[in-house]
Amino acid sequence: MLAPQELDDDGGQGRKKGSTPASAVLTALQCAYGVLQSRIISNPNDMMGILFFGTEATKFDTAGGGGTGGGYEHCYLLLDLDIPDAEGIKGLKGIIEDPEEFGSLLKPAKEQVSMANVLFAVNQIFTTKAANFQSRRLFIVTDEDDPHSTDKALKNSSITRARDLYDLGVRIDPFFIYNPAKGGFDSSKFYDDIVYRSPTDEEDDSQTAVSGRIRLKQMVSSIKSKSTPKRALFTNKLELGPGLVIGVKGYLLFKRQEKARSHYVYTSGEKAKIVKGVTTQLAEETAKVVDKAEIRKAYKFGGEQILFTPEEMKAMRNFGEPVIRIIGFKPASAVRFDMNVKPANFIYSDETGYVGSTRVFAALHAKLVRDEKVGIAWCIPRKNAAPQIVAILPSVEELGDDGVQIIPPGFFLIYLPFADDVRQNPENKLVRAPAALIDRMRAVVKQLHMPRGYVPDKYSNPSLQWHYRILQAIALDEDMPAQPTDTTLPKYKLIDKHAGTYCREWGEELEKLARNLATPAAKTSAAKRSTLVKGEGVPRKKVKAEDGGEGDEVMAAWRGGGVARLTVAKLRAWLEGRGLDTSGRKVDLVERVEGVLDG
Amino acid sequence: MADKQATVYVIDLGSTLSRVHPLRGESDLDYALTYIWDKIAATMSTGRKTDVIGVVGFRTENTDNTMATADGYENICVLAPIAQFLMDHMRDLKRVLVPSRRKGRGGDGFSAVCIAVDMIMRYCRKLKYIRNVMLVTDGRGEWDDEGCEEIVGQIREEGINLTVLGVDFDDEEYGFIEEGKDPKKARNEKVIKKMVEGCNEGGQELGIFGTLAEAIYELGKPRLKKVRPERMIPPSPSTSSDILALLSQNPSVRVHILPRPKSRALANARAYQIEDDAAAGGMMDIEKEQMEKGYNYGRTVVPISATDEAITILETEPGLQIVGFVPVEKYRRYFSMSTANVIVGARDNPKAAVALSSLIHALFELESYALARLVTKKNVAPVLVLLAPFIDADYECLIDVQVPFTEDVRHYRFPPLDKVRTISGKVLEKHRFLPTPDMEKLVSEYVDKMDLMAANDGGDEPEYATVDETFSPILHRINQVVRWRAVHPDEPLPPAPEILTKYDHPPENLLEAAADTLKKLIEASDVKKVDPKVAGRKRARDQPVPKSGLDVEALLTSAAPSAPKKAKISSTNPIPDFKNKLRTTEDLSDLEEAGKEMLAVLKELIKYSLADANYGRVCEILKVMRDEYIEYDEPGVYNKVLQGLKKAIVSGELDGNRMECWDEIRYNKLGLITKGESERVEVDDAEARKFLWG
Repeated sequence: MLAPQELDDDGGQGRKKGSTPASAVLTALQCAYGVLQSRIISNPNDMMGILFFGTEATKFDTAGGGGTGGGYEHCYLLLDLDIPDAEGIKGLKGIIEDPEEFGSLLKPAKEQVSMANVLFAVNQIFTTKAANFQSRRLFIVTDEDDPHSTDKALKNSSITRARDLYDLGVRIDPFFIYNPAKGGFDSSKFYDDIVYRSPTDEEDDSQTAVSGRIRLKQMVSSIKSKSTPKRALFTNKLELGPGLVIGVKGYLLFKRQEKARSHYVYTSGEKAKIVKGVTTQLAEETAKVVDKAEIRKAYKFGGEQILFTPEEMKAMRNFGEPVIRIIGFKPASAVRFDMNVKPANFIYSDETGYVGSTRVFAALHAKLVRDEKVGIAWCIPRKNAAPQIVAILPSVEELGDDGVQIIPPGFFLIYLPFADDVRQNPENKLVRAPAALIDRMRAVVKQLHMPRGYVPDKYSNPSLQWHYRILQAIALDEDMPAQPTDTTLPKYKLIDKHAGTYCREWGEELEKLARNLATPAAKTSAAKRSTLVKGEGVPRKKVKAEDGGEGDEVMAAWRGGGVARLTVAKLRAWLEGRGLDTSGRKVDLVERVEGVLDG
Repeated sequence: MADKQATVYVIDLGSTLSRVHPLRGESDLDYALTYIWDKIAATMSTGRKTDVIGVVGFRTENTDNTMATADGYENICVLAPIAQFLMDHMRDLKRVLVPSRRKGRGGDGFSAVCIAVDMIMRYCRKLKYIRNVMLVTDGRGEWDDEGCEEIVGQIREEGINLTVLGVDFDDEEYGFIEEGKDPKKARNEKVIKKMVEGCNEGGQELGIFGTLAEAIYELGKPRLKKVRPERMIPPSPSTSSDILALLSQNPSVRVHILPRPKSRALANARAYQIEDDAAAGGMMDIEKEQMEKGYNYGRTVVPISATDEAITILETEPGLQIVGFVPVEKYRRYFSMSTANVIVGARDNPKAAVALSSLIHALFELESYALARLVTKKNVAPVLVLLAPFIDADYECLIDVQVPFTEDVRHYRFPPLDKVRTISGKVLEKHRFLPTPDMEKLVSEYVDKMDLMAANDGGDEPEYATVDETFSPILHRINQVVRWRAVHPDEPLPPAPEILTKYDHPPENLLEAAADTLKKLIEASDVKKVDPKVAGRKRARDQPVPKSGLDVEALLTSAAPSAPKKAKISSTNPIPDFKNKLRTTEDLSDLEEAGKEMLAVLKELIKYSLADANYGRVCEILKVMRDEYIEYDEPGVYNKVLQGLKKAIVSGELDGNRMECWDEIRYNKLGLITKGESERVEVDDAEARKFLWG
């Protein structure tokens, strides 16, 4: 299901300090813009909308009805709730870039807007535009903590309308902006009466008004994290031992975010449209359309097809009901670095199936954290899923600088490889570095330590960002960006500052060593060059005698004009040793080798 | 690619093999064939043209071999020349693999080996093959060891692996001695053993001699597919100037691929369509030439021609660039997202190797990992990898694993496990979500007792359930049943081998020792399973309360005492109105009234819906009603509403054909409430199905 959310903006209540009169609104809009951009990448099917309230202007023309704003005075629907399109984003961008131009739009109303109307407007938007959606979110950004201080009836009707939203499953997340003219923001005056939370709600941060200049980044990150509804991957049982079963839910916390796949597009019409591919299956011999029910699956074996009934197909994959069954415990160090096959899943206790799950879960968690142990379990995550062996690794809660949780407390399921998954190590001659070189490298490593460890938030996926940056530029008719920002590139300037000297020392040491190393590859090429440059006088035999390994053979063959007579393996090894492409057929390899040697 | 392989099976078909061993209940030949068929089927399942099989029978009724004219080669038949083995071969072979009916005739075992060796020599010539001869016998025929040295010499020269397995042969290591052994068999066993051991002289381990029982026992163990290490990236000069090495990346751990069933004899035909309101069925067919490639940006489609596509791809150069170093204890193991690869220096580049070695050792000594940016090929998306040092007596490498970017992390939040915070912000140390000191102690005891590090009875390593010991259950199960079905087309599937389910439960010895602790822990934990039928019902009539704790209900009645309590449900705000109505009543009649009003709203929504515009709302309303009426224990009201709605839709009274709306309802699984969901109705699953689909 999709997760729509609405960003509501307070249209310029109160006095803003600073030169631009509407700086808080602008910040909120910038925030909305940032969230919009990132969600197009991360959740391309999410709907979003923006509604100003408290503006002098009124506009309420949601596609689902409501007309031109009858009954919704001082509500201005800037962006109707939908999957954002280029035009909407362009419009939003226009306001941010040139707020003066839109001064009339951002002009505050003289009278207090009715919050009941605002909330009902939201209600209508959600019911008509996002019917039957699982998750609906409303972010209210405001600096008015008590909109109806004098009008009890209006306040009460706001409270009723807020409960309507609760009944519709709309979750309200207010963002309070500190208003110096009012001396603080007191959520108990109004907002605590319209916001609903369940007792186990863990997403709620203690709401403090953002003081002074609003920190845009903080707002964006907060909305970003709140706008993803927590969706469980599976509901399962965790068996600590025979007879001790608790409920858990599994979540996917790490998943490679990929580019949305490309579509075929029909561009001959008015607007570009996505083309849908329809696949029908035809019988190979008769070319007749085959009904799905007629299709039987078979395994290929010994040149023929081995058939099973659907029941047998099911039975052979069945290893019992879903369960995460702990078979014992090991020290955490037993889960070696290389024992990994896919992203870990996170599990957290779930009381709905088994009352008392959380306390058992917590007790196990405390023990495994304290003794640095892991559980080893037989895991069938879902019905008919392939059984796996997992390590149950406890995670300790970590909070960011702003007190917001970064790593949740619970367990990660680390999927361990089977013997079938382990590959042989490639053959490789052992060359051990001498202590002098290691010492120099150690100095480098010491200098470039990142004491906080690996922090994913510091690194954006450069290829993903670039892809969407280009799409955005095309969609919004912007100038093409010249240079991608790539946070994954090493910061060479800094590295040079901290460890430049050590790096160079290591490099010198390496060169010194290299001169004494038997490097057939390097020597041959040097010899080759001299032959080529000098042209004559270098006795061939001598060169040959100096060389060792495959280098000489290839060289000799080249001189004799018989590169093509060498085996593919020899050609590959030779190319590989020079860091060259080793793919292709023999003809290609020969050509490549000759190309290199011919200069 | 795996190495080429040729295997010749030499099978004793003497009449003595029809003997049925009382304990096994099958003939000795069938017993031996259990092994042979499994081996052959395993080879067949690879589907490789370069893994070939030949079969020779000896002590057969007839004679059919290349040496047939020579003395001593009677009663030996080549049953299948060396070739890739297919199902037809298997069926043919099954027919001829029966014990001879003639007793005590020729058919010398060593001669049969000769034939097999000859077959291999002719087939493999001097090419690179793994050569095997696999012989099974009951040791009761003729074994003339005259000239044996020559055969052994040839076997050694050709490098042929010779395996001889005997029915009820003595094997001290395995612990089997046959009682009352026939003296002729005893003599034969000795002669054969001597010959096989002869193959092991001269520095080559070519001969294996054993008893069949052990071999069959070993069949249960999954066979690992030997995979040659594969180079993934062409080693490329890193652009990182100082920390430079020519490297080569190789998979260390890679997920096995399950054999996938294929649809039989099908071809796919593809058609392309776009939505077009003017066309019949709302779709218009498009020719392939009319299409371009494109991407979605939000709702907007961005067409990008094939030539332009390159601009959306980030230009990168292959290489491994080190970003920094991470202390081992600061790395969160659960960040690892991928399979692991091994990085070694490029071949024939000692400079690279020595440079890499210095990094490996420095990392090892400082207990650090390196964080690096890896690009495997030109213009391939960069990934961040963590590099861990691996040092062995004779091997060094880096192991790399991919870690997440910020876009890959989902920030779901979960409450702390060591304390409970109330809505008002108070922190509780005691709560039903928190373990008691008693529980903590027992869990600790239980975990300590269930230590797997010394739980492996009789294994080489004390650690239980190591990677080497665990096999993919699905992979080997599928292979097993496919092989089985190929050999036994008419028999039901066999049970899964024990080894595949060995790790689906804790080891017995540990469990026994921890039984007492576990019992106490279960008592102390007091976990109660919830009956799913009762689950949702309990919380009925709970009033939702906002953060402030305000009693909204009281406020409403006091604020507007004059408001008629039974206000009609409005079509603009039906769900909240409906929920509100249910909250304020206990009366069945009111519940029924609410149902009627909702039905009117639903009909109105459908009637005035532009095409399918309102169908989503209809489904949402029905879903809310369905849940609420189950919770309020009046499922009959919902069923009545739904029946009324279906009637209205089917009759066409809601402005024409609205069957698509019913499809939507069906899709959302909003049918009648059944017996299974509530005891208060009599609708069974069949009836509900009929109603929804009829």
